Amino acid sequence: MKVKFFAYLRDYTKAKEIELEYCSTVDELLHRLCDRYGDEIRRKLFNGSELSNEIIILINGRHIAHLEGRNTILKEDDVISIFPVVAGG
Amino acid sequence: MMFGWTGKLIRVNLTDGTVKTEDLNQEDAKLYLGARGLGTKIWMNEVDPKVDPFSPENKLIFMTGPLTGTIGPSAGRYEVVTKAPLTGTIGASNSGGHFGPELKFAGYDGIIFEGKSETPVYLYINDDKIELRSAEHLWGKKVPETTDELLSETDPGARVACIGPAGEKLVLYATVMNDKHRAAGRSGLGAVMGSKKLKAVVVKGSRSVKVAEPKKFIDVCIDARMKIKNHPVTGTGLPTYGTQVLINVINQSGALPTRNWRDGGVFENAEDISGEALAEKYLVKNKGCFACSIGCGRVTKIKDGKFKGFGEGPEYEAGWALGADCGIKDLAAVSKANFISNEYGFDPITLGSTIACAMELFEKGIITKEEVGRSLYFGDAEAIVELAEKVGTREGFGDILAEGSYRMAERYGHPELSMSVKKQEMPAYDGRGVQGMALEYATSNRGGCHVRGYMTSPEILGVPEKLDPLVTEDKPQWLKIFQDLTAVVDSSGICLFTTFALGLPEISSMIRTALGWDCPDEEILRIGERIWNLERVFNLKAGFTKEDDTLPPRLLKEALPEGPAKGKVAELDKMLGEYYRVRGWDENGVPTEEKLKELSISF
Amino acid sequence: MNGRDSVGKTLIISPEKCTGCRTCEVACSFRKTDSFNPQNSAVTVYQYDEAAISIPVMCMQCEDPKCMKVCTTGAIYKDENDTVLIDRKKCIGCKLCIIACHFGNISYNYEQKTLVKCDLCGGDPQCAKLCPSGTIQFKEATSAQLSKKKALAEKFKSLLEEVEK
Repeated sequence: MKVKFFAYLRDYTKAKEIELEYCSTVDELLHRLCDRYGDEIRRKLFNGSELSNEIIILINGRHIAHLEGRNTILKEDDVISIFPVVAGG
Repeated sequence: MMFGWTGKLIRVNLTDGTVKTEDLNQEDAKLYLGARGLGTKIWMNEVDPKVDPFSPENKLIFMTGPLTGTIGPSAGRYEVVTKAPLTGTIGASNSGGHFGPELKFAGYDGIIFEGKSETPVYLYINDDKIELRSAEHLWGKKVPETTDELLSETDPGARVACIGPAGEKLVLYATVMNDKHRAAGRSGLGAVMGSKKLKAVVVKGSRSVKVAEPKKFIDVCIDARMKIKNHPVTGTGLPTYGTQVLINVINQSGALPTRNWRDGGVFENAEDISGEALAEKYLVKNKGCFACSIGCGRVTKIKDGKFKGFGEGPEYEAGWALGADCGIKDLAAVSKANFISNEYGFDPITLGSTIACAMELFEKGIITKEEVGRSLYFGDAEAIVELAEKVGTREGFGDILAEGSYRMAERYGHPELSMSVKKQEMPAYDGRGVQGMALEYATSNRGGCHVRGYMTSPEILGVPEKLDPLVTEDKPQWLKIFQDLTAVVDSSGICLFTTFALGLPEISSMIRTALGWDCPDEEILRIGERIWNLERVFNLKAGFTKEDDTLPPRLLKEALPEGPAKGKVAELDKMLGEYYRVRGWDENGVPTEEKLKELSISF
Repeated sequence: MNGRDSVGKTLIISPEKCTGCRTCEVACSFRKTDSFNPQNSAVTVYQYDEAAISIPVMCMQCEDPKCMKVCTTGAIYKDENDTVLIDRKKCIGCKLCIIACHFGNISYNYEQKTLVKCDLCGGDPQCAKLCPSGTIQFKEATSAQLSKKKALAEKFKSLLEEVEK
């Protein structure tokens, strides 16, 4: 499945986009990313055991807050986009 | 002794060339705070909203807020208020940089310009010395050279707000530019300045701005600054990438309007024009406005190639308008067209959206190569740069583009292709994918605009909390609070961007300690509601009705073709009536007698 | 005068971080006058638009201060931390020190009739405390930092001379 990273998250992943083998839930995917990229990204994605509120996770453009949060079930062809909270205007 | 405010205004009659100072009306200042609110109140006291924007009877007001020039976070704002030529609504645009604080340091809260000069003039203020001087030698000059010449003939430490050739030529979306790169950007306020033959205002000051409770004030400001520094948006995202960082988020959320909003909310080349790309390719340095703890400004340089140039930006809205909206992925061309906008002094949002509309007219065969002077397909990077220059001089097809998208599309019989509300082009969030923004566009007192109630913040970014962008429930209530709070922030003199990290309690504390007030937060928010209603009264008196609180048919009828909001239209009908009710207005969107009385609005 | 924790510390400037916001100017003037006025600030941000450079400049606390040398009443002195200070009781307002300073880092507040010069806020410099970009820092003066500071001063001096030509 396709995972996209944005803004300064790219400093940790050194990639804009990766192909990851199938993860069944958002939670599984995030832990897989932590295993892959280490503590720096873990500190961005999680606040203790809770999901960090400084991160935006979209599944096919839909924010996980409006899906099942970290328990959201993923499909093989889903595109996951991960952003730090940013804004502008 | 005055605190926050200086208590003095300058009144300039451009018709007879007289300049005098007068006391600020304390009652009005208490009710309307400053900048946007107080500027509008002063205008309403003196002018009929039916006035022709370019007539001598229209007044042009530069107004600071009580926090302008203090150590409040990003407290460098001033507002330009007048009747707007692009929309015919109340025109109010604010800008940062260092001009506003300098006006306070000279000892004035604001300047009222009335009448019209026969020949080009500029106003020079140096504390007590205030004089109108000839600007014949500056007429026709662009913003950077006008600014440099004025600094060399007055005081190198002075600050300049001026118009470029676009303002002189009454481009309907001309800006007032200050400190070269900062703009009171929307609705064409620079054209009003041009119509009065007022080229510039130069100010130098040496006085102090005082606050009522210095010890408490510095404490609340330091607290606010810490919150801004520690917030991911204002402490990391904006300083690192500037506003353009939004391109990817909004695009991934399926709400980045593409090719005149025709192709939905996903631009396939968004990455090429993103804030990340800007930082990697062209960023020279971050720049902060006066007392700013964020520093979102981008000093950028295109070192070589046909789009070589130097300046600031593009900001997100401009980057979108000249990029995704025109189907352009060449960031150098987008940046160049943005530099040109700042040099000639016009709004790149309206420019980009107007060119996008012309591109659709061209592709539909409604306008021809002969009329435009070139082909005009979506994605043509050279076209935006060439046409930007032509708008600045009103040369050839630039003369038609200079009227904005609505008047242009109407001229060719297709006003429905103008992506505007009240004739002002909507910015970079598709209301079909962000329902609260649809309501914001339809109800904004200055037409298509995002900074009157920035619903993108909760709906897409989850600040201060996450709302579902696809539903309409509760949006009217949220929008009202956002609009009222924004009116307070704009009128206080601090930057709206601080509100990503600050809320009503922090902002109220700064206002209270600066002015020596003792009132609850709710009463401060009430000032915002009062300002919003006064602006609404302006528009109603100018002839606007409920029928104008609408959106282009494309948003109401054509569903988004892809992305998370696929199949969605803007469900304005589900929100507008409720919005009027929440506002205490009747079913025609008119504030009731009780509401006006409750808010102590008189006019 | 200076607190114990400020012994050996000095203001270190990193102009590459400066956004030109002038928070330091307002912070300094507030500390000295309880009001906001860049004219009454002991730090000034010099901005060169075309070069995209901005540099906050304040008293360098020179090893051999010219201002101190020219002061006829002995009002300017160095404390135990080598901070150059002004004894307001001894100052007669002759302004010779303003002329003597190479960098223009002393000015005069006509409202309060006092000299404006960086005194490191008695060991808690407000400019460093409130600088949002980390351009101004109050740090241990290691020899590396001191040589950087000196180089910056030289660079700024030549830049000033260039501008004044």
